[in-house]
Amino acid sequence: MKNSASRSIIALSSTALALPGIALADAPPTQSTISYKLSNYQEDDLARAEAPFGELERYDIDVHQFQLVSPLGRNMSVHVDANYESLSGASPWFTSLGLDGEPNVNLSGPSGISDRRTELSVGSRYYLENGSFAANIGYSEENDYRATYFGLNGEKHYNNDLTTVSAGLSYSSDEIFPTDAALFNRSIDEDKQSTSVFVSVSQIINQVSSFQSAFSFTEQSGFLSDPYKLRDIRPDDKTQLAWSNSYRKFFVAANAALHVNYRYYHDDFGISSHTSDLSWHQNLGRTFQLVPQLRYYSQSAADFFTNVDDFLNPTSEYQSSDYRLSAFGAVSGGFSVIADMGSWKATLTAERYLANDKYSAFDVSQPSTALVKYNRVSLGIDFQF
Amino acid sequence: MNPMPKHFAFKAMGSFCEIQLFDESRIRAKNVVKQLTGEVARLEKKYSRFREDSFLNEMNSSAGNKLGLEIDDETQSLFDHALNCFEHSDGLFDISAGALTEIWDFKKAVVPSQSQIDAARAHVGLNKISCQDCHIHLPRNMQIDFGGIVKEYAADSVARLARSLGIEHGLVNLGGDFSVIGSQPGNKPWAVGISSPVSESGIMAKIDLIDGGLASSGDYERFFMHEGHRYSHILNPMTGWPSNGLRAVSIAANLCSVAGSVATIAMLKDELEAKAWLKDSGLAYVYMDSKEEISSAGLSAEN
Amino acid sequence: MRALRTTLLLLICSLMLISCADVRAWERGYLAREEMAWDPDALESSLNDHIFFSKEASSGGNSAAGGGCGCN
Repeated sequence: MKNSASRSIIALSSTALALPGIALADAPPTQSTISYKLSNYQEDDLARAEAPFGELERYDIDVHQFQLVSPLGRNMSVHVDANYESLSGASPWFTSLGLDGEPNVNLSGPSGISDRRTELSVGSRYYLENGSFAANIGYSEENDYRATYFGLNGEKHYNNDLTTVSAGLSYSSDEIFPTDAALFNRSIDEDKQSTSVFVSVSQIINQVSSFQSAFSFTEQSGFLSDPYKLRDIRPDDKTQLAWSNSYRKFFVAANAALHVNYRYYHDDFGISSHTSDLSWHQNLGRTFQLVPQLRYYSQSAADFFTNVDDFLNPTSEYQSSDYRLSAFGAVSGGFSVIADMGSWKATLTAERYLANDKYSAFDVSQPSTALVKYNRVSLGIDFQF
Repeated sequence: MNPMPKHFAFKAMGSFCEIQLFDESRIRAKNVVKQLTGEVARLEKKYSRFREDSFLNEMNSSAGNKLGLEIDDETQSLFDHALNCFEHSDGLFDISAGALTEIWDFKKAVVPSQSQIDAARAHVGLNKISCQDCHIHLPRNMQIDFGGIVKEYAADSVARLARSLGIEHGLVNLGGDFSVIGSQPGNKPWAVGISSPVSESGIMAKIDLIDGGLASSGDYERFFMHEGHRYSHILNPMTGWPSNGLRAVSIAANLCSVAGSVATIAMLKDELEAKAWLKDSGLAYVYMDSKEEISSAGLSAEN
Repeated sequence: MRALRTTLLLLICSLMLISCADVRAWERGYLAREEMAWDPDALESSLNDHIFFSKEASSGGNSAAGGGCGCN
């Protein structure tokens, strides 16, 4: 019935809609869903000019993601996530000044890094009349890293379910035991703790659009340096703030949805960043959906970043040539094709990412030469039963 | 998918009920229907005026009790809806009119005296009942009857339950109160025939329902003639006398609960006022007036 | 930090100015569509979060930090 009802009819409907048998409050899923996604991530090789000696090939990673979400009784849902990653390739070990006066990257030796990572997490959500709360716990393990974490979060609906406020906290306790530690004079066994809280507000604006704003605050302490870099000395605590905003709008005539996201980040290593992304979810008939997307990222350098390792610097001073702490920007574009066949759904995604010091919106006094470019392809399947 | 829906008929709430749905497996459909009829039975057991063990009976027995009675969320929501309808109909829609129904005997066809009517009216008036935060205070001699909203609410509740159980195409019919679970496959509407109040087997109108609900109200089932005057069983709680408006009305709205409230209010209003109100409502409707003339709007599938 | 504070205040003020319609439950069909969810593909988002966490310096925003990895 698409007639516009008169005001008195709308008034009568308001209480009818609040009736428990009819009310559309947040409800647990009624069906179970099992999902699997296979992805391949491949970084571009370095150009010989950037790395005159040694390895050119960077990371090549295969990722398997698995998830099961299921209702449990009338008011609960449970989820199990398992991830398996296998990684091969090399990572920057140190930087040096080339014969031409420009910084060079030196990737780790011929043995490279070959690693597998396994992660398992389990969580549950309990639904109440006006909201829900959830708990989750997880564990991940690699050759040289172990992490145990848990999280709690809750959300409440207000204003006839038009406004939702959610908050949560999580804690992670990690252990690092670098491979070949004695051989390369690396730290043998270190640990790190991380505590994080977030608060978010979502608001339905009208029948076709909604907005969400969230703040998160994270405190890390322990060993924060990269043990595989020849010279990498970072503070033993780090405070991070992030503020993200999301907007969703459905275009009825086009039968498509627009997603716009923006995040501002800042931490006390001195890094600030802007992340913005856009995606267009275009429905094609009842089965297909095409989703092109674009992302722009820009960060400033850490206070102690240097693009050429200085081994003569005293070890009491912070220092890192890790490109991830340099000022750079990144542009990435991708495309997904989704086929929804009722109880089966398949998603194929391809993405290209390019980082470049010239893309940064911040001052780049020391551009890093080790910035990455990569391709990523994924194939996902979902089954509802 | 089989082009024909499966039919499941049963008796509940004193009427013939039927659930039609499309489902691959007959066994699964049967299991779903079992849960759906269970939901209807639950509501009947809870709110039936005719069952001694119903919660409604317990509520009515608490009339005059200073401590009042604890009620649950569902009952509170039903009361809130009834109060909303009461306020929006200027007191015409009143679930506390039980005291009035008792003095009008439609079997014996006797017209009560004015003093009897006045006495009964003293115990009618939803605004006299305090019901909030899941606690109800029912004054002495007052009675609540959810009969005017429970059947429609049950239809909507059953439709929603069916959807949550994975049924995508179906129709619930509880004694003439319809709620769509989902359109027929291929986004086609369900064709519902509305029987004529005057002709035994005739159809007054046919309506296409693609979603939402349909409810009807009419006085042709229970009325009596006395000295050339027609007394319908639909009593106006403001005057204490039967209403003298439309003969029958059927409304289609986003919910059967809404359609039912609108239909009842339309039957209680004076004929001219009812016609104008329905026209302005923006809803699809068909009615037969006191002259047995039929009028309708929005019935065909122009949605 | 001052620029951040000003931006925050501006955003809060503008949020209060947005007049939000009272959207009835039966009118929320569009908002309930999968492509209108904050996160239509959970595995995709967690994969991206993981990749960006290891290739860039930023993390967090709309949820608390999840599992750790040796990648940063």
